[in-house]
Amino acid sequence: MSTILVWKEQLQTLYAKYATYVDKALKIILGLAVFGIINSNLGYMKLAASPLVTIGLSVVCAFLPLIFMVVFASLLVLAHLYSISLAVMGVAAAIFIVMYIFYFRFTPKKAWLVLLTPIAFALKVPYLIPIALGLMATPVSIVPIACGTVTYYMLHYVHTSSAALKGGGADGLITSLTSFAKQAMMNKEMWVMIIAFAFCLCLVYLIRTKSADHSWKIAIVTGAISNIVVIAIASMVLNVKISYGGVIFGSIVAVGLGFVLEILFFAVDYTRTERMQFEDDEYYYYVKAVPKLAVSAPKKQVSRINEHKDTAIIDTEDIKKVAAKRAVPQAKKQQASVTNWKRKNADEILLTRSLNKDLKERQPKQ
Amino acid sequence: MISKERVRIMTKMSLYEKKLGEQDLKISNYYKKDYSSLNTLITMLWVTVGYAIIAGLVVVSNLDALMENLTMNKMILMVAIAVGGYLIVLIAYIIGASTFYKKKHNGAKRRIKQYYRDLSRLGKIYKKESR
Repeated sequence: MSTILVWKEQLQTLYAKYATYVDKALKIILGLAVFGIINSNLGYMKLAASPLVTIGLSVVCAFLPLIFMVVFASLLVLAHLYSISLAVMGVAAAIFIVMYIFYFRFTPKKAWLVLLTPIAFALKVPYLIPIALGLMATPVSIVPIACGTVTYYMLHYVHTSSAALKGGGADGLITSLTSFAKQAMMNKEMWVMIIAFAFCLCLVYLIRTKSADHSWKIAIVTGAISNIVVIAIASMVLNVKISYGGVIFGSIVAVGLGFVLEILFFAVDYTRTERMQFEDDEYYYYVKAVPKLAVSAPKKQVSRINEHKDTAIIDTEDIKKVAAKRAVPQAKKQQASVTNWKRKNADEILLTRSLNKDLKERQPKQ
Repeated sequence: MISKERVRIMTKMSLYEKKLGEQDLKISNYYKKDYSSLNTLITMLWVTVGYAIIAGLVVVSNLDALMENLTMNKMILMVAIAVGGYLIVLIAYIIGASTFYKKKHNGAKRRIKQYYRDLSRLGKIYKKESR
């Protein structure tokens, strides 16, 4: 656990250092995923389906607000649908306009959440989205999840039955219009998913906002179970065939990723929980304080034990000459010091002798 | 000499101008009631368009079922359901939009007030420095 927290700290430090580049890189990755999935599933217009368009749009969107990615993705989808049928494109455009009118007008900054649901569906982990948004956002996120689910099922239907939607003449146009509108609006599987996701998101949000210990963990597991139960019940009631294996596997993956989110955004230590009770003139307060788990990332200190040093060829003759020059005064100095020492020593000996002599003379004769 | 306090205020103001300043100035030109009413009216129009599109899509997707045994009574019932649904959605959006835009106006006013306060603080610092 502490290793993961250290990684988290290191990631945060890295992000703080290179936030501008990381943001751009993440936008490019999101763009590549969005435009790549659209082009690989609906590549009906060859010009728009080229990898160059995918990369180009991703790079352009990296330098623009995220709402532009939503707009470009919608336009790309409409361009591909136009290649199939004008009626199909018309229905899709009408659905996108409805999404804009009822949601994006109010929160254009959160429009990118719509992109997450189709990506999660494509990666076979759609059950993660309601759990993640229940943990990180508010119940209003039901709207972008619903919009994303509608978009995914609409595109999925086009992908699986594009041949049937291509119809020549006025009759073919009306047939494809009615069949596509019916599938886009009345797809039972889509409504089952929307109901399950809405219920799951509300449940996760309700539980994780409670002050109970391990509320995030309980919310994640409960959300996953509610997904499975609601999908099972709704599919039985509406008579829809859904692979239960896929739902269970997807929910297990969602639980795992939910726990990762918990470590990243809600790492707390329940063992050190403190409860306080106090009052003022108007209220009694019952406070529960849960400390955050914080591990400081170890800083690497590099100490050089064998620092690089330049080696050079030394002319020994010159050194010998300099040493010889230095050696002469050194020898003289040494000789002088020896002479001084001898003189000092002689003085001391003479002084000691004279003192001894004086002492002997002063001693009374016995 | 560079005053740290002055640079701090200038950075804060510049960030605000870059992010929300222009929009907030536009919003604060209106009275709260006017701003909220105007935008609620625009929302009403958009909701009407959106509802019409949804109704059209529902009709197109259920064309066969709706046209089957169509009588005058059935048609009146369908129109009544459609109008009832429209009114419910419209009222919900009017209430929601009114609250949303009032909150937005309050937020913009608060930020603009802070901006002007910072501006006057900046002026005082400049005066102090020029002495």
